[in-house]
Amino acid sequence: MINAVLVYSARGELIVSKMFKPTLKRSVGDIFRVQVINSLDVRSPILTLGSTTFHYVRTPGEGLWVVSVSRNNENSAATWEFLYKFATMLAAYRLDSEEVLKEEFMLAWELLDTMVEGGGIPSETDPHRIISAMSVKPAMSPVDVRADARQQQTTTSTGAFGHAFPQLLHRASNPGGISILPHATGDGAQLKRNEIVMVVQESISILVSKDGSILKAYVDGGIDLTTKLEGAAVCQFGLNDSLSTDNSSNSKWDPLRSKETQGTNLEMKNAHVGTVLLRDCKFHQCVSLERFDRDRIIRFTPPEGTIELMKYHVRDNLNLPFKVTSMVIPTANNETDYRVTIKSLFPGKLSAKNVTMRIPVPPGTLDCKINVSNGNCKFLPEENAMVWKFHKYNGLTENKLSAITVPTRDTTQLALQQWSRPPISLDFEILMYSNTGLVVRYFTVLDKHNNNTKFKTVKWIKYVSHSGSYEVRY
Amino acid sequence: MSDQRIFARYKASEIRTDLQTIDVKKIKSSVTKRKHALRKIIANLTLGNYVEMVVLFPDILKFWQIEDDLEVKRICHEYVRTIGALKPRFVIDAMPSIRNDLRSNNEQLQIMALETLVGIPFFKFTDEAFNFIMTMINKRSSSPALMKSAVYSLLQLDEWDHERVMTLLGVLHGIFEDHVGLPTVQVAALKTLYTLHDKTKNLKPLHISVDTALDLLGLIPQLNEWDVSNLLECLVTVVVPQTHDDSYDMIDIVLPQLQHVNTSVALKSLEFIVYLLNYVDEISETVVDRLSNSILTLLEKPPELQFLILRNIILLLLTREKPVVKLEVSYFFVEYNDPIYIKDTKLECLYLLANSNTLPQILDELEQYSTDIDIQMSRKAVRAIGNLAVKLGAEAAETCVDVLMNLLEFGVDYVVQEIISVFRNILRRYPDRFQSDVRAIVEYIDCAQVAESKNAMIWIICNYSHLLPNYIELFEVFCSNIKSETLDVQFSILNSAIKFFVRDPSPRLENMCLRLFNFLTEDVNNPDLRSRAFLYWRLLSISKERVDILTPEVLKEIVDGELPVIELNTKLDQNVLEELELNIGTVTSVYLKPTGQIFHTAKTKHLKDSPVLNSEKGHLKIIKQDENEGPKYETTLENKGVIRQKLQRNSTMNDYDRPAEKVNELKGKRKSSTNNASKLARKPSLLMRKFSLKKKF
Repeated sequence: MINAVLVYSARGELIVSKMFKPTLKRSVGDIFRVQVINSLDVRSPILTLGSTTFHYVRTPGEGLWVVSVSRNNENSAATWEFLYKFATMLAAYRLDSEEVLKEEFMLAWELLDTMVEGGGIPSETDPHRIISAMSVKPAMSPVDVRADARQQQTTTSTGAFGHAFPQLLHRASNPGGISILPHATGDGAQLKRNEIVMVVQESISILVSKDGSILKAYVDGGIDLTTKLEGAAVCQFGLNDSLSTDNSSNSKWDPLRSKETQGTNLEMKNAHVGTVLLRDCKFHQCVSLERFDRDRIIRFTPPEGTIELMKYHVRDNLNLPFKVTSMVIPTANNETDYRVTIKSLFPGKLSAKNVTMRIPVPPGTLDCKINVSNGNCKFLPEENAMVWKFHKYNGLTENKLSAITVPTRDTTQLALQQWSRPPISLDFEILMYSNTGLVVRYFTVLDKHNNNTKFKTVKWIKYVSHSGSYEVRY
Repeated sequence: MSDQRIFARYKASEIRTDLQTIDVKKIKSSVTKRKHALRKIIANLTLGNYVEMVVLFPDILKFWQIEDDLEVKRICHEYVRTIGALKPRFVIDAMPSIRNDLRSNNEQLQIMALETLVGIPFFKFTDEAFNFIMTMINKRSSSPALMKSAVYSLLQLDEWDHERVMTLLGVLHGIFEDHVGLPTVQVAALKTLYTLHDKTKNLKPLHISVDTALDLLGLIPQLNEWDVSNLLECLVTVVVPQTHDDSYDMIDIVLPQLQHVNTSVALKSLEFIVYLLNYVDEISETVVDRLSNSILTLLEKPPELQFLILRNIILLLLTREKPVVKLEVSYFFVEYNDPIYIKDTKLECLYLLANSNTLPQILDELEQYSTDIDIQMSRKAVRAIGNLAVKLGAEAAETCVDVLMNLLEFGVDYVVQEIISVFRNILRRYPDRFQSDVRAIVEYIDCAQVAESKNAMIWIICNYSHLLPNYIELFEVFCSNIKSETLDVQFSILNSAIKFFVRDPSPRLENMCLRLFNFLTEDVNNPDLRSRAFLYWRLLSISKERVDILTPEVLKEIVDGELPVIELNTKLDQNVLEELELNIGTVTSVYLKPTGQIFHTAKTKHLKDSPVLNSEKGHLKIIKQDENEGPKYETTLENKGVIRQKLQRNSTMNDYDRPAEKVNELKGKRKSSTNNASKLARKPSLLMRKFSLKKKF
């Protein structure tokens, strides 16, 4: 049970303090401020003093502290999950800014009343249900809430301790990225009746070592669904994952076959193979997990609005969109010579947007002399990096960069040797391209009460691939 | 007045005037202004301004009666709760209003009123709360939300009136065993019972039958995510399978929940399945696959949850000889942007996952981290390499030491210091190996600046003096600085000096020892160190004067005896491990400590006896499917796996390469990107052209 929820401003001013347990001392708020907010050397997102435990997260943007207090062996997974959802709802009501929260803090109390059961047990975190139970409608639409939540994830995962790559985060702010579709903009309210928009989002993470071998590569994918339907409908769709396409044989969870598919996939590496081995998938609570387990059919009754329908994870047989090779050689006079090549490996008729490569330079670099075959490259002294940008990058195209650094006079050989060489990172977004080759094979919408009649709906599907952490060492 | 800031300290009189002035003009706009004034009260309570706010109680009561707005009600209730927790008797006048709200038709208001009643430690409020709860429970038609809060509020009431709550245990049992009840209320009742049993010292742990548990698990499709998580949490150790089939049935029901997007549900399902594995003799490999995949997918959550998952992975790796999860090491490679606490935990995972197969991969990574810009991180990486060398046996140690020697050349002093420290451990584990590297290490004697590395250096010089012709010179550097050293370095200087002398009683060493004794017995304040010096001094003088009592051999035995080989001990106590496994996802799983150590009042969970309980965790067999295919097939399968792994490890960027259709070549010269200065130096003709351009300004 959560005994209290506290919200502080970034500087440590307590703005909301909701006690679920009356015996909890009010001074508990001061303890957290002294021990965590005012302390510089905190290296963990959880703190236990005596038998009092603080879990905390920070909101993106202003960095409010959202804290839970508990005094028993609390379920940490539930606590953090709840704190994240609560922070998301605060953002939806624009309460993630100190100024607004100080005026409208009663909304935060109302949110807590809606989301938490008496005694401090989280009970409802589905944005749609919360909003329908609230007296005030949020400033942002639910779509933006979710997009924001995703941004929050990116910000916290990449920049929680020092916003290292702020310019790399912009892609996440594109709400759901749906806007390019003809008339389905990101906002659920603007959908016409009986429309369903499905967005397959994938972010690929890769780590390449100095010698070009791939240390790790995986794709985190998700399928978002925006629905506007008249009447109750049951949706059903199938993917080309290796297990559901081999339905002919008896056992669905046969490890032999999956291994075999992996084997064959390997031979046809980066060919456009027919099936994808989903390592694991997670579903929104409206999906019948039992049904998926039995028949590998994804069947659900979608709630109105936007939901994150499923998430998946793929490690095998990926299509890498970019190849980056680099040669970084220290030369005489303590200069560093860069030769970087980037080549797109996706089909020529597609193109990537906002391709940004960030090439770190040694400390004490005054300037860089840069020559690029295309795109625009600048040296940003405040970030100690060169940033090479392309607004549009066509498939199967190769570009080169050649650059040399101008070091300060007091740069020593040793300092260059000891430079930790942060990896080169790449950021991009490709539409209608899937890193895993995942395809939605069919998608049907049926009337809930009469399973045979098909619902007349307009269905949109869109694939977006962007970069997770795409890093190359040199 | 409304332009005043809400969130600031106010005096009671100021807020009161606010409230009253608005009251006089009875216009609609005054409603918002009044709310502003009321909000100020809550803000001041948050700020801790109780003394002033207590005065406003009559005003609150007045507004309570005339306003119907929910926000005003919420403010009133919060006010009573806050003040009531401090001065229970003072707020008794609010009783009629609370009662009024309790009887209203608005469900939200009813819940709010109940919460207020429960929150005030005064018997009049408590009685009212009990009465309300009883009518709720008896009247079956109430709404689920209200029923749930009624059931949950018993947990708080338990602190005010324990006896009375105890009489209601039977009622709670009735609710969750009720087949026609509302599923979410059933779970609430179970959770309440579970917590009550856990809290109360003289109450036996809750126990429910397998059939009831199966009924409850059957409700999962009708429950929302938080109820599922609560249900699974409560079932661990509460339901005890009596046959293998019981366990298999329950595992089958819970398996799909591993794929839930809510971390809590996924982790609690994992916990429940891992618990049930104690009551089966074998499981299929697919279950292992699904457990592993589920936990790995959770690693893409935000950092705080990622941290929790990583801690629980450590827990799973520690608890069993053969872990129930199969994890690939590459998941635990540190990313540049990971927060420091994730980096640390990933390092620990890597250490635990290391074996002879994965070592090359892991060492490559650790070597990378050792040159990391974060000093803490690189030290930890070096330490991890050293620990791996100690953990994995002589052959692996060779590779580890090679890496360390490479890093030594990197030459940053904190890395070198750390290497010196871990090298001592390696030498203690493998006393006869790596002698050739000792000299290389000793060359970095000047780098040893921190107590630990100095200690290690002294130890190495002392124990491998036969490899170092100039050991006395090296050692004398430390001796001459003994005044400024920390206590433990002083100890090791003393010990080593004696050892040198016993090995080679030359006048030079004798002199050195005497100097040391003089200093340590006269100028040192620490009694322990002084007595140790006296002890050695006497020992040496006895051995010199009375050789019949203390022969040089015996003396050598005493002073310079054989050291036992060290082992790294990562194993925790069996009972602790058993308990930890039953607490997956909780606070204790983060600290990896037994619950009793952190929460003194908590009960320890343990596995309950049953005919099918495994006595040893290692007895669990993991079987591959298709048994009838025979072992032949299995081996081929394994081979394939190996090939796959190898291929994956060696896959490079080039494997994915394909020819480019268009290659843009570099044109022109390198240009400075921030060339503001050079713009001025343009040719005059260019400048002219620029001015003559016909452009709008």
